[in-house]
Amino acid sequence: MKAIFSFLILFVLIQGLGVSQTVLSGKVLDEKNQPLPGVNVFLKGTFDGASTDQTGAFQFETTESGTQILVFSMMGFKSQEVTVELAAKTQEIPTLTLKEEFNDLNTVTISAGAMEASDEKKSVILRPLDIVTTPSAVGDIVGAFQTLPGTSTIGNDGRLFVRGGDASEVGIFIDGMRVGNAYGTTAGNVPTRTRFNPNLFKGTFFSTGGYSAEFGQALSSALALNTKDLAKRNQGDLSIMSVGGGYSHTLANDKRSLTVSGNLFDLNPYQNIIKQDFDWERAPYGIDLELAAQQKTSKGGLWKVLARTETGGMQLWQPQPGRDGRGILVDLTNKYAYAQTNWRRAYENGWSLFGGFSSSHNKDFYILDGLNLERKTNLSHGKFTATYDFSERVSAKNGLEYFRNTYSETLIESAISRDFEDHQSYIFSEWDWYLSRKLVLRSGLRAGFSSLANEKWLDPRVSLAYKISNNETVSLAGGRFHQLPEERFRVLAQGLKNTESEHLILNYLYQKDGKTFRAEAFHKSYDELIRFEGILQNPKHIRNEGEGFARGFDVFFRDRESLKNTDYWITYSFVDSKRSYFQYVGLVQPDFAPKHNLSIVVKHFVAGLKSQLGMSWSFNDGLTYTDPNEPGEMNSKTGSFQNLSLSWSYLPRPNLIIHGAITNVTAHQNIFGYQFAQVPNEQGRFESIPLSQGAPRFLFLGIFLTLSKDKNANNLNNL
Amino acid sequence: MKTILATLTLVFAFVWNASANDPAYESAMKKQLQAMKSIQSADESQAVTNGFLRIAEVKNTEWLPLYYAAYLQTIAAFRFEVNKDQYFDQAMELAKKAEKIAPNHSEITALQGFILMGKLSVDPMTRGQELSGQAMQLFGKAIALDKENPRAVTLMAQMEQGMAQFFGQGPEKACGMARMGLTLFAKEESKVTENYLMPTWGKREAEQVASACK
Repeated sequence: MKAIFSFLILFVLIQGLGVSQTVLSGKVLDEKNQPLPGVNVFLKGTFDGASTDQTGAFQFETTESGTQILVFSMMGFKSQEVTVELAAKTQEIPTLTLKEEFNDLNTVTISAGAMEASDEKKSVILRPLDIVTTPSAVGDIVGAFQTLPGTSTIGNDGRLFVRGGDASEVGIFIDGMRVGNAYGTTAGNVPTRTRFNPNLFKGTFFSTGGYSAEFGQALSSALALNTKDLAKRNQGDLSIMSVGGGYSHTLANDKRSLTVSGNLFDLNPYQNIIKQDFDWERAPYGIDLELAAQQKTSKGGLWKVLARTETGGMQLWQPQPGRDGRGILVDLTNKYAYAQTNWRRAYENGWSLFGGFSSSHNKDFYILDGLNLERKTNLSHGKFTATYDFSERVSAKNGLEYFRNTYSETLIESAISRDFEDHQSYIFSEWDWYLSRKLVLRSGLRAGFSSLANEKWLDPRVSLAYKISNNETVSLAGGRFHQLPEERFRVLAQGLKNTESEHLILNYLYQKDGKTFRAEAFHKSYDELIRFEGILQNPKHIRNEGEGFARGFDVFFRDRESLKNTDYWITYSFVDSKRSYFQYVGLVQPDFAPKHNLSIVVKHFVAGLKSQLGMSWSFNDGLTYTDPNEPGEMNSKTGSFQNLSLSWSYLPRPNLIIHGAITNVTAHQNIFGYQFAQVPNEQGRFESIPLSQGAPRFLFLGIFLTLSKDKNANNLNNL
Repeated sequence: MKTILATLTLVFAFVWNASANDPAYESAMKKQLQAMKSIQSADESQAVTNGFLRIAEVKNTEWLPLYYAAYLQTIAAFRFEVNKDQYFDQAMELAKKAEKIAPNHSEITALQGFILMGKLSVDPMTRGQELSGQAMQLFGKAIALDKENPRAVTLMAQMEQGMAQFFGQGPEKACGMARMGLTLFAKEESKVTENYLMPTWGKREAEQVASACK
């Protein structure tokens, strides 16, 4: 009994003796010397610790003694460690300051010229879903971008026109790899579309100027489309549309996924029901096959393959001014193939590598008024980039690129042919310097060489961004851009050099709680533009002699917050552009650069109807043209362009979408210019035919069904 | 004699505790789990989260402290006036860390789905499409990993209920799953002892879904 008792006393004593308690206390501040609550303060290797309170103060007891490490940690902040000697009963730790880490939310991003569409990033203007739900776009990627600042809608062309530049000045990239002939081949005055389906992409990056040294061969704009990563589930997507149909099947597991799709479109049945103003011999038709595959590689890399092949055509009678009858028959057949593969991997040690190869083949076969013409374009692109983060403040991206471009035109009957082959190499380096979380400088240099032009060139690019407050950023960007002339000119004059532009952009961006306001002013100068004598169909004496400028501003406001279930954006772009180009001797406003451009998009979700209603309205003040009956060049302007489009997406079941859209509801008479006779009539006047729309309106109706074990999957992205 | 026996038991208990796996870990966990029950503010939530994170620092082979830290961040984002996206993102970061310690764990997978539900709730109009599918998939995976995980089943029931409401369909599926969840909770409760550290939350949510059923 006694023994037990003394054992117990001893035990308690031992326990008690070892315990000498120390009370630790102190205070933590942030970089602005404000108290920082919620910091985890603890002794390393023990459970002893506490959190700082609203005054930044902490206090806790510990039974540890001797030399210990006190850790200050909080998510989003850099942890700090302090060595403490635990001896006294109470110990006051000197006040400590924790520094915030650089992250997307607190660090400035360069917003000059750039508009991102992504679900992940913060600085987005457009969401991927917007591309498919903007009524005027009718599912075309570029159609959605035409509602963004800096763009003009040229209704009889369909391509993307940026800030007084023509459509060829926009470079289109998929996963960083150049896409040749990204738009479908079409006949004059018949608007085209992007070849690629929006549901391939998880995000886009659209720049209207001052872009990264990674992008070259684009005078005005870069549109970078990023393909989706691994698919989530096995599914089949069926679409039945007023203009055709298609089926897409996806197989997926944790490591890899594969999507194969086939689509067929034919406007013939539609045109049989709805009267057309164009004189179609054969309505546009096409068939395409597409494959997309993704594979995770063993050590955290991702390998992707995308391939697409398509064929299509159309036959159209184009009336000629001053001549009776149906005019000239344009018979067009197109074959296209695009394939690319790329691999990327980020390493733990700060390196990220990317390698890719792409190849585009386009073949157009025309019969023009009985004359057979074949045109072939091939573009191959190889690219390798290595990015290294020296620290969270400095990172560098370096890359090498190689292009091979061949082009040929053949007059079949007379076997007359002309062609060219060009090899281009590029090297670029771009450095991001975060001087603080608020201030970043990006400096880049791109050097290029073309074998055909026998020319070397250097493009410096620089941008600077400053975060004024949590919601506001100002950015400034500038740089030089080179682009080789269009193939149709290079084949005629093989020594043609690069055309050039220089950009200067000032941007202000405000983003808060679903509201975005963006204003941008720009100045762009052009040099070495293509000029020739004669007419575009038969240019003579082609040379790099043109020059010009584009200046203006654009504003953008988007609000997804104020009105319930409603999302809208308003864009106004002002462009003052003049250039001497093509056959124009003096500085003229080009026929693709309207001064005032306005667009409004509204989307409203009606829960009771399980529907999303969409409205978009585009306006510009008209296009210039030359009336040969009047003196001067580009002496006239068409009436304004207007397009009010409506759409209705109805989701009766999770896996079923019914989508309808009407463009140009008001049937506004849009005229895009006039075609004049080459020679005057007996009265001495040049007769003309207006270039108008193929039909007052376009109607679209589609049913999209997703077949999957997961009943909630739907294919809203396929609209 | 009675006192002696009592003291003996006490001593024995002490010694036994000391020789158990890690009493310090268990008692630290229990302390935080207790504190978790009385959270009334974002600050209090942060304090408990930090407590779990301290345990996670020392016991870096245990997934549970990280799990609870992630769970608390998620709940705090739902309950309190905080930067929701930031909280959900941090919760996901913690859940991913837990997943590294215990890959393919039903509870962690279900929690990740729950966090995505939170992300979705911040901006349903633009995120709904992408995230609802991802969340459903995670719940499906969590159930496949452990058919008896009541939280996985309940969260799935919540999603089903939301979808059914949206599409004007009957609540049968959601109700069935909620009832199943409640059965699993009852089963789980029978296992819960004083030393039970595993997650037990979610019964209220299951009852909520079930209450909408007749």
